[in-house]
Order: sequence, then structure tokens, then C-alpha cells
Amino acid sequence: MRALVVRRLLLFVPTLWAIATLTFFLVRLAPGGPFQSERDIPKSARAQLMRLYGLDRPLGQQYGRFLWNAAHGDLGPSYKYPQRQVRDIVAEGVRVSAELGAWSLLVALLVGIPAGVIAAVRRNGVADHASMALSLAGVSIPAFVLGPALVLVFALGLYWLPPALWNGPASRVLPVITLASAYVAYVARLTRAGMIEALSQDFVRTARAKGLPEHVVVLRHALPLGILPVVTFLGPAAARIVMGSIVVEQIFAIPGLGRQLVNAAFNRDYTLVLGAVLFYAAALMALNLAAELLYARLDPRVEAA
Amino acid sequence: MRVAWAAALLASVVSACARAPAPGAADARWFGSVTPPRANVLRFNNGAEPETIDPGVMSGQADGRIATLLFEGLTTPDPRTLAPRPGQAYRWEISPDGLVYTFHLRPGLLWSDGEPVTAGDFVYAWRRVLSPVTASRAAGTLYPLANAEAFNRGVLHDSTQVGVRASDDSTLVVTLRTPTAYFLFLTSSFTLLPVPRHAIERGGVAWTEPGRIVVNGPFMLTRHVASEVMDFAKNPRYWDAAHVLLDGVVAYAIDDLNTSTNLYKAGELDWNPSGGIPAPFIPYLRHYADYVTGEFQATYFYGVNTTRKPFDDVHARRALDLAIDREAIARDLLRGTRRAWGRITPDGYAGYTGPAGMRFDPEAARRELALAGFPDGRGFPRFTILFNTSEDHRRIAEAVQEMWRRTLHVPVELENQDWASYMDAVTNLRYAVARRSWIGDYLDPNAFLEPLRSGDGNNRTGWSDPRYDALLRDASHELDASRRFKLLARAESLAVEQAPFLPIYHYSTHELIKPYVRGLYHTALDLHPLTHVWIDRAWRSAPLAAEAASR
Repeated sequence: MRALVVRRLLLFVPTLWAIATLTFFLVRLAPGGPFQSERDIPKSARAQLMRLYGLDRPLGQQYGRFLWNAAHGDLGPSYKYPQRQVRDIVAEGVRVSAELGAWSLLVALLVGIPAGVIAAVRRNGVADHASMALSLAGVSIPAFVLGPALVLVFALGLYWLPPALWNGPASRVLPVITLASAYVAYVARLTRAGMIEALSQDFVRTARAKGLPEHVVVLRHALPLGILPVVTFLGPAAARIVMGSIVVEQIFAIPGLGRQLVNAAFNRDYTLVLGAVLFYAAALMALNLAAELLYARLDPRVEAA
Repeated sequence: MRVAWAAALLASVVSACARAPAPGAADARWFGSVTPPRANVLRFNNGAEPETIDPGVMSGQADGRIATLLFEGLTTPDPRTLAPRPGQAYRWEISPDGLVYTFHLRPGLLWSDGEPVTAGDFVYAWRRVLSPVTASRAAGTLYPLANAEAFNRGVLHDSTQVGVRASDDSTLVVTLRTPTAYFLFLTSSFTLLPVPRHAIERGGVAWTEPGRIVVNGPFMLTRHVASEVMDFAKNPRYWDAAHVLLDGVVAYAIDDLNTSTNLYKAGELDWNPSGGIPAPFIPYLRHYADYVTGEFQATYFYGVNTTRKPFDDVHARRALDLAIDREAIARDLLRGTRRAWGRITPDGYAGYTGPAGMRFDPEAARRELALAGFPDGRGFPRFTILFNTSEDHRRIAEAVQEMWRRTLHVPVELENQDWASYMDAVTNLRYAVARRSWIGDYLDPNAFLEPLRSGDGNNRTGWSDPRYDALLRDASHELDASRRFKLLARAESLAVEQAPFLPIYHYSTHELIKPYVRGLYHTALDLHPLTHVWIDRAWRSAPLAAEAASR
């Protein structure tokens, strides 16, 4: 187990370096630069800005300096918001995106797992068909349709909830439901498939033969194995969800990292793009590793293999 | 639907702590809730996260709105007409040759930390903007000052040579390079706002953070959550604090237009400024009494790259210009939300009469095309209309493409690019025809004619005409207003005739202002001094017609 962790952590370094390098050169391939405006900028100001950010140096030197600073955790100031450090912008964005993501993931699990279990236990029954049809709808309806629809009904029709912004518990409800709906569907379907497989295993038959009550058989014996697919799914899902959903953040005006990253790319804010991409890569790898560790915990067969 | 069911459940749980249905929601005259905010504050959408709130280095509209809440210049614009009114200066004298302005500051002016505001603060602020080290993108606003341009370009190194000095703590003497008719107006623009030297030297780049920032305007920054919201409280040390009726202001940074309009409808915003309404909503919103529209000093046009063949020939440019049916675009495509426009300067400068402007004339267009050597479009090279990605720009480009094809039989293609790529292409003249727009910085036709001068950084067409430059130069030295306007009108006629810009429409502003917000008006430059805005809780009983009519 420890060897696995060490091996993975060692792989982080070259992977991050490769991603950093690719991103560094790719953002500079896009036409235009960070200091452009509809109104002409005085030549002296442009020259000074380029000098200030080191953009007047040869590309190789810029790259070297960027790598050196990044290795020391210094991503520099944003080009678009010169008074703010990329590190702070990413940290603030992550905090918000992570909260939104955590609530959504929680809702997805709390609704999805029971729905999947019920569907598996009452296989081919009404509950199964109903919950699977609904989860199909959940996967199929994109956030940019569901979000505005919820806003229309609950914020603009009934005046129950704020239509956007990120202040107070009431403002969390609509974005969390919007973001969670697709995940609810995934979790329910994965749970159902995993449970059906688990319920057909010999150890379940043994448990039943021992005369254990059905709910004990299902929840104690079958569930830990049945939700393994969900755990596998959780690693990348958590990374994606924590990184922020550009669509949900845009609809609800939430100051998360997803919105920052997309805007940074449009603004040619080189340093902010790099910071956000590097963070995303690191988060993805770390959460995948965590999922793998959790997986080993739940299924003893994994460690042996 | 599980989702809907879960939503209903969660919603009902939360609704216990959520607000009651807005009573005004059923009133068909108003768009959504008309319940005033609980606190005595104005909540509006600033449209974007300001890049900076340091007035000396900012350049965008979202930044400027914040700057004028926090700082006050020598003058302050009238909330309706934008005419300069006394601000930090209570009176001023102008020398007969129009070159020397002497401003007298009000006695007892204070920064929000209790330090006195002096004429030296203005000198410091203006030199700071012009210093090449500051890299201010808006430094050009100060170029009317003597020696300002040379100092900013690094040709002149002595900042004391720039035409601004403090003859004592309360007297500021400004010397201009040419009489600048609109200079008083400029003294209220964000670039010319004073900044606190002591706070900047103490705080470094972080001097604008809440808790550190020191201001001289009607409001102080109390909270700033990046990309979300800025909170402002009334500044008790502002000289006119007795007449500031709001306790505070809340400025959101919402970039999505649908979201902004939703928040307005739900009663979370009291003002949704122009630019915050999705274009397809406008014809529908026109029927509400809280929808406010008016002329905006901005024009939409196509720039032609005159360094490229065949557009170096004036006849080719005129052919394109005459073949655009602007009326059809404004009426059918934009559903009357904009006015068709055929000249460079917008409408509404008192005393200025511009040329008649280009008209749609297919016959004349074909004649011009023949004069350019392409009778009936034969042999005309394929070219592209470039625009930045936007549904509206695309629809207009498609219409113009069709007009040029049908009238002139020339092969036209369309290309859209994201903003930064598009800006890069336009700035470096890597285009044939490009969508452009221009917004006036000040209320004078010069704001629109200056960019067409030879070599001006905003020209971006390569067009250059010594006659035009001479007319503008003569106008800048002319003290008599009507003679100056005549010179500018002659320059404009020349530019319309030479057609480096193909005008299409005149912008208007479209905003939503709740009926209980008082003192907030449409203005020609879409500037909104918020100093004397107030929330009227008894708005239903007060006569509203006068207020609405004057907006």
C-alpha cells in the first residue's frame, strides 16, 4: 500500500511538469495578448507592462523563470487583476467551488445510493423502472436547461429562493440541485448495477441462508461491495465537481474557479490560466489516488492484485 | 420527476427562512418585484470584476463606476446633463487664451482617514498617471496638459515640466498645450481623480484593499469579495455628506446578462445598468415602466483597412458604404432598439451640426464600384468581414454580406474570432473589413473625430489625410465655439466622404431602474453619479410621472 502511494506521488512530478509546459506554450499560441484594449494603450505603458511581467524577455527565459517560481509555489500576479496574486485568486475560487461541489456530491450520494439500492432490490418492479427513468432524465437534462428552469419556477415565479448570488443558505439550494442532478443519476445507476451484481454473490446467499433479515443482508453484506463502482466514479467526479462547473457558476453568478478559468483564457491572463490548470491537474491526481486508497479499503481483493 | 420532487422538498424547507412573495410582483407596470431593500442601500450590477480600483491605472467602465463612488475630482458631472459642477474645487478661473485653469479647492476637505486633501494631492495623482513607470493605459486623457505627452512617452524626464502645479495647498494651476473646450469635463473623469499619496506610499500595490484604502468621495469600500461583490458605506468625512442620502451601495460583479436581469426581476438588484439586459429581451421589456432607454454617445461601424487593395481606393470604400441599408438593419434586425446612423459622430452635441451622413443608394454604389475598376463587381477580390464572437454581430454581418452581394456582386466571407484574437487582428491591420464601435469619453464631437487622425492609435484603418489632420489641428486652437464646431463638421464631412469607417447604427442605453430609486437618470455617456441617489419608500404615493419623464 505504501509503495503504491510513493509510486503515485513520484509520478505527480513529471506529470505536473508536462502539463505546466504544455499549458505555458499553448496559451501563448493563441493570438493576441493580455494587454489589449478597444482603446489604444500608450506605447510607453505597453512597454512598461511587458517589462513588469517579463514578457519582453525571450520565451525560453520566461519559461525558465515560470518553472522556477512555480516550483516555489509562486505563480505571480494575475495579468488582468494586477493587484492580486494568482495563488489567492485560485484559493478563493476553490473554496467556493469546493463548497458547491461538496454539497452537490453529498446530495448526489444521499439521493442516488438509496435510489440505486431500492431499484436493485425491487429489480424490474415499478420502483426500479421509475427511478431508472428519472435518472436517465437527470443525465439527459443539461445544467443550462435545468438551472434556468429551476430559477424560473422557484425564484421568479414563486419568489421562494434567490435566483443567483452566493450569500446565505437559501442561495445554495438551486445551484446545488442543478449541479447534483446529473450526479444523482450516475450514482443511482452505478449503485443499481453494483448491487445487482453483489446480491448474486455466494456470500449473500450464505448470509440469507443463515436466516439474517433481508435489510441486514442488503445493507451490511451486499452494500459495501455494491457501491464499489460509485467509489471509483467518485475520484474523478470529485475533482471535476471541486474544480467548479462553469455552467452552474455562470447561471448563478457564483465566484468559483470554473468561471475564473474560462474568463482567464478569454482574457489571455497567462498566469491565471497556468495557476488554475496546475491546480486542477494536482487535484485530479490527488483525488484519484484517494479513491484508489478507499477502494482498497472496501475490497480486500484489490491490494492482493 | 425526482429532481422536481427533490427541488420542491428542499425549496419548501428553505422557504421558511426565505423572504415572502414580493407584493409588487403582480403589478403589471413593473418588471418583477418593487419592494425596496430592507437597508437604505442601492444594489446594482457592475457587470464585471473591476481589474483595479486604483483610479490612476484603471481603464474599464466597471472600474470607473467604482472609482467615482470612492473619489471625487475637481468637478463632478451633473447627474442628468453631465455638465461639470463644482466638486473638490468650488470655483475656477480660465485665462482669456483658454490655456490656464486655476482651481480653488473647498476649505476643510478631508481624506477618509482625516488627512487634509490638498492641491498637492492632485499634482501627485496626475504626475503618477503620466509617469511611464505607472504604465497607465488611460494616460492619454491627460495629454491636453502642457508637456504631458512628452513626459508620458519618456521624451521628457522632468515631471515638474508637466502643466500642473500647486501654487498653495488649496490652489491648483493647470496649463494646457492647446485650448481644450472639454477640459473641465475631463476633470471629473476617473484618470484625473486625486489619490492619497500617504496611503499609497504606506500600502504599496495593496493600498486599495478594504481597511487600507483612503478616499475623498461620497462612499468608502468596506468589503470586497472578488468576482462577487463590493460593499460601500457612506463616507462621513465627505464634504457634502449631509446630502448623501444612501447609507451604502452594493456593487455585484455578475457577467451573465440573463442572471443580472433575473436578479433585478426578483428584487435583488435595484438597478440593472445598460449592457446588463440580453438583447432579445429588450423589445419585450419596452412595455414596463421601469425600463429606461435613451441615446448613448456611441456608434457601431465597420472599419475598412485602407492599406489593403482594393480598399486603398476611395471609390471601393464608398461603394461598400452606399450599399449598406442601415434602415433595414435597425428596423428589421434590431427591431428598433437602435437608430440607423450614417456619420461618424453621434447625435446630441448642443451647437454642433454634423454632415448629413451616408445613405443607402444602390445605384450610386454600383457607379462607385465601376469607378474603382470593378464594373458590376467583376474581378473584385474575395474579402472577409471580421467580427468578435457574438450573435448580434453575426446577424448584422450576415445582413451586410447579403447587401454587398446583392447590390455589388462582390464575394464576401464572414469570420468571427474571440475578443483577444479579434483585437489583435484589428490593432495590427490584419483584416479587410472589421466590426468596430466607439464610445465617447467626453461630450464633444472631438471624441469621435480624434481617432481618425493620421497615426492615432485608435484609427486602426491606416487611413490618413493631411486635410483632415489640418482641420482638427485648427479646431484645437480655435477659441470660438461655433467656429470650432464648423471646423470639426468640415473634418467630419471629409471623413464620411472618404469612408474609412462605414457607420451602421447609433447606440442607445437600455437599463432597468426600480421605481423607488430616485436621482438616477439616463445620461448621454452612460455615466451615473450615485452621490445623491436615494431610496424612496413612499414611492407609490409620490408623483412619479415627473421623475419618469425626466429620465
